[in-house]
Amino acid sequence: MSVEIKLSRSNRTYRPNEPLQGKIITRLPCSISHRGIHVTVNGSVNLQVRGGSAGFIESIYGVLKPIRIVKKTIQVHPSGKISAGTTEMPFSVVLNDGGKEGKFYETFHGENISIQYLLHVDVVRGYLHKSLSATVEFIVESELVVLPEKPISPEMVFFYITQDTQRHSLLPQLKSGGFKISGRICTQCLVSDPLVGELTVEASAVPVYSIDIHLLRVESIMVGENIATETSIVQTTQIADGDVCHSLPLPIYVMLPRLLTCPTMFAGPFSVEFKVTIVVTFQTELYNMQTKSDPRAFRKWVAMESLPLELVHSK
Amino acid sequence: MEFKARDYRAEEEIHSLTRVSVSSHPLCSSSSSSSSHTQDHVSVEFFDPLRGLSTEIMEPVEDVVVAEKHPASQPTSHLSTKEWTSFNKLLMQRFPVPKMISVSALSSKTIKGKKVIGELPAKTQLDELNDSEKSTEKGFKIVSQQDYIKRLHELKDEIMRSWRSDDRATSLKLSIKVAMLLMDTCVAQFYPTLFVLATDIMDMLGDMVWVRIREKAEFADDGTKICTLSDDFEANSVCLEAKETCNNWFRKIASIHELLPRIYLELAIFPCWRFLRNDVIDNLMRMVMMIRGIADPLASAYCRFFLIHCAQKLPQRDAGHLVTCISDQKILLRQIVSMKETKYGNFLGDHKLLISLMEPTIEYTMRCIFKDPNQVADMIVRLELGKSPSELHGKVPWISIILHYLLKELPTEVVCSNALEILHLVDCSSDFSFDQYLNYKMVGLKLCEGIDQLNTVDAVIDEVIQAATKRKILDEYLKILDAYMDIILHYNMDRSLSSILSEIFERLCNEVVTEDELASLQSIVVKLVTHFDDMKYVFDLNYFVDILDVMHGSSRSIVCMHILTNATRNDRIDDLTIVKLLFDVAQSLHDNVDFSNTRQDDNQQAERLVARFVDKVDHGMELDRHLTFLVECRGAFSSMNDLKEILVHSSNLLAIRALREKKNNLNFIKSCITFNEVTIPCIPSYARQLILYLETAEVSLFGGLISHSDGLLDSALCCLQNVYLVDGLRKSNEDADGIVSLTRKLCSFMLLVPGNLEQGAMYIPKSILSLLDSQSWITPKLRIRILCSLLSLSATFAQNEFPYHAIHEEVIGNDRLFLGDATYSQELRSLSRVILDNMVDIIPQEPSQVTRGKLALEACNCITSFYKVNDEISSICSKLMETAISCLGGGDKYLQSTINFVHKHQLGENDY
Repeated sequence: MSVEIKLSRSNRTYRPNEPLQGKIITRLPCSISHRGIHVTVNGSVNLQVRGGSAGFIESIYGVLKPIRIVKKTIQVHPSGKISAGTTEMPFSVVLNDGGKEGKFYETFHGENISIQYLLHVDVVRGYLHKSLSATVEFIVESELVVLPEKPISPEMVFFYITQDTQRHSLLPQLKSGGFKISGRICTQCLVSDPLVGELTVEASAVPVYSIDIHLLRVESIMVGENIATETSIVQTTQIADGDVCHSLPLPIYVMLPRLLTCPTMFAGPFSVEFKVTIVVTFQTELYNMQTKSDPRAFRKWVAMESLPLELVHSK
Repeated sequence: MEFKARDYRAEEEIHSLTRVSVSSHPLCSSSSSSSSHTQDHVSVEFFDPLRGLSTEIMEPVEDVVVAEKHPASQPTSHLSTKEWTSFNKLLMQRFPVPKMISVSALSSKTIKGKKVIGELPAKTQLDELNDSEKSTEKGFKIVSQQDYIKRLHELKDEIMRSWRSDDRATSLKLSIKVAMLLMDTCVAQFYPTLFVLATDIMDMLGDMVWVRIREKAEFADDGTKICTLSDDFEANSVCLEAKETCNNWFRKIASIHELLPRIYLELAIFPCWRFLRNDVIDNLMRMVMMIRGIADPLASAYCRFFLIHCAQKLPQRDAGHLVTCISDQKILLRQIVSMKETKYGNFLGDHKLLISLMEPTIEYTMRCIFKDPNQVADMIVRLELGKSPSELHGKVPWISIILHYLLKELPTEVVCSNALEILHLVDCSSDFSFDQYLNYKMVGLKLCEGIDQLNTVDAVIDEVIQAATKRKILDEYLKILDAYMDIILHYNMDRSLSSILSEIFERLCNEVVTEDELASLQSIVVKLVTHFDDMKYVFDLNYFVDILDVMHGSSRSIVCMHILTNATRNDRIDDLTIVKLLFDVAQSLHDNVDFSNTRQDDNQQAERLVARFVDKVDHGMELDRHLTFLVECRGAFSSMNDLKEILVHSSNLLAIRALREKKNNLNFIKSCITFNEVTIPCIPSYARQLILYLETAEVSLFGGLISHSDGLLDSALCCLQNVYLVDGLRKSNEDADGIVSLTRKLCSFMLLVPGNLEQGAMYIPKSILSLLDSQSWITPKLRIRILCSLLSLSATFAQNEFPYHAIHEEVIGNDRLFLGDATYSQELRSLSRVILDNMVDIIPQEPSQVTRGKLALEACNCITSFYKVNDEISSICSKLMETAISCLGGGDKYLQSTINFVHKHQLGENDY
């Protein structure tokens, strides 16, 4: 005895102005009577603040009250009977039928902020029987109307990483020997496209151990008067393994992970932004001494350059 | 009992066929229709086991393997797949892998890892990063090669199994683990094998993904067919759902943190880009660039290798990636060769090993670059080798190992038309990655391929000689020149040749020659020898003989053999100086061959060549000189037994020639015979001695030297007595048959020989008879045969006139010698009596019933033919008949015809 939802699109992605369509599929050993079949669309922004970043009081609060985006229920069938075997019941829900719903943010699964849309089906069967239900997550992408025309002009930013651009202390041999890593990278990028750029190790007295591109998300949440901001790594992508040839350009090519990224957004109570950091690790004996370390920490054998990254959607 | 009297002349007249003269020789080959028909027939019937296999069995097997690998999936060209497979096989064999391999801790985790599927913990990237950091502290681990390979096969099975059970995430995870193994280059010699096994898994995964997405594109969820994708489909004919799946695969792979496994996996499913876009070349170029991020030279070289392999699965034939791969490789190699003691990956100091491990990838890349003959011109420009195939740059240095494979693949025409520029290229590309002299050699070999297209020969050879002369090491000098020898000889560049020979000789005198150098020298000398038809010319070359003298060991033997082969190609060798030189050559060959060596083939060839030489030497009418030559040969080639036989034959031939030439040269013939008398006992085989004794006896009788011939026959008898004793092992029937037939030949020869008065006329037949009793190896069957011939001999001795006589007038046959001599007749009669009794006695000793019957018939036939019929003979015959009947049964055909024969003889004598 089961019920299942099958959405019309295999990628489960819909835009707010599109109808969310699908089928409710029941598989029953014998026919049952019910008091109505309902589907519920529930969209919300869930926020949480972890201890340490915001402060003492918030850590007690932990999970903040979620912000509702949408919640609507429609009846697919009035009370009646479902026959034995497999039954398919189509349904269709209009997500944004104007006005009273909140802004449809794009689906995003972050560390502290999570924007999620769920579709829930309920087959209510009175007091004696447990109702049959199923839930499925669907993904919301921005409406096409509000999106800029494609192609957006790629904004390439040039960067240089040298011993002088580092704000943290470096190993003496790095400081004295010097290094220069240059390149360019997109700072505005389509969510669906890879983040591209180019990097060249022009000089380095100390051999390079690894060059990684860190994709970071910056999540900010309004807590009372304060803004709790936390930066976390979404993905790291190695682009150089070992002491690569100097003066040979290496491509930067990072595919953005779905759901873990979304267009940069600034809502009132929260915001989601992204950053890209180029991290150059040099070979050192000290490297092996470090047991467990935060890759973002400013270590003496690491040079880095952080750049803001605006993620956008286009038509 | 009396022998039948026979009139041989009358018999011959009756029995000889009428002769008809014909216009053509019946055995002479002519292009008649019948012979060509036979040839056709043969070619149809002929079964070549090798070719038969390759067309009928080998090919399908190969096909099955390939078909299994690519189940109707990607439109890769069949040929390149095969090439890849065979190249990989070679790759695995090329590097000897130690039993124990040191691997990095990370790899060892995968190898020893949990084998239960699904238990692989889904770690975040951060954890894995830390993990790898931790394990590097622990350093290297030792794993046995077997375990490693076994684990890789297990992983492959696991990947396949989880794919089949729709657990594609696990398949991918395990594949990533496999790709991770390729990051570990401290396995050194094992890396190529690891690469082959790991890329096999990558290919498998790639195929599975390809098939899955293609199915998504062609079939709807419920299995109905949406469309059929042709081999050169366009991306826009692929449905969104398939594209979505394809995108997900690329996203999944893009989320791998480590560069190398990310590249390998994207390459594995690279052809799937075609579902998303039509032009995938940009992506391919990005992959080439991404590989630059791998600093380890070995890992990056093999990664490029895999990229080239994966690119072959694309329908587009663009070579941009190949050119960039080579130029990136060049930059990397330039860095390696310019550094001395830097640690490079895991190859501290051992650059040679590193480069040898990278070598196959360079070879394969170059092969791919010049695969398409129509693209050669384009490639030359893109590789910055020159402006066009006819105009190459000569002064741009290359990395010598890359240059080597470039030269190897460059079409011969291009090399030939730019010979000087290419020599300059080789000249300025000198580094330790590949020995420069081998590049000179490669150019030489290429030029030899297109030897007739060469137009700047003089300049080229001058250049080469200059370059070679600069070489301090003799071996390098020789190897370079060896490659150009054909050109020098082809264009008759005598001046260059003589300068080279004098330089070689000078260098040879100044240092100890090593084995390698000898081998190179050998190659040069052999080329010289085989080039000229006339050995005289070769011997006349300055320093040739001196160089030959410096050579030793097997190289010298090989050169000697070539000289002899070449010299004996002519009909006769009559120039005395050449004979002398060749004699020295042959002698040094003889002295070099180790006759105790088990390698019989070599010895036999040497012996055959010397024999041929001796055979071809011709002193014309100067017979004495030739005999002296034979004597010298006997002394010089004392270890060659077969040759001694040749010497005996030659000396016999010489004696015959002398006999025919003039009358008063008895002494010379005597010396020939004496030479043989001395030579024959040196031959170890008695059977062979026997043959030679008989032959020499014939010759001496021919020359009227009765006492010699008597002596020789005595020796022959001795041989016959010893033959079985000493030759010991001859048990086969063939050998025994051979000796029987020699005995019969001896019998027939006896008719010519005048009976010896001291020993008695019947001395030899008697000796043979007593021999039969003393030799246990002579079976009853053989005895009967010999007895039959003895009986036949006795019967002929009894005639008034023999069927044939000796030619020499001083040699008188027994028929005339003992005409009417009663003792002679008496002796003959008693001898034949003994023979007859022997026959009758021996037949029952034959163990085999059938043979016994046949022997009885044989004896019966023999007796009936030679004896006049009387009661005694009749009773002997009927006894034999009874034996035959009891053994063979009455219906036997031989028996029937014998009965008829005997019956006929009893009715009327002399009715033949």
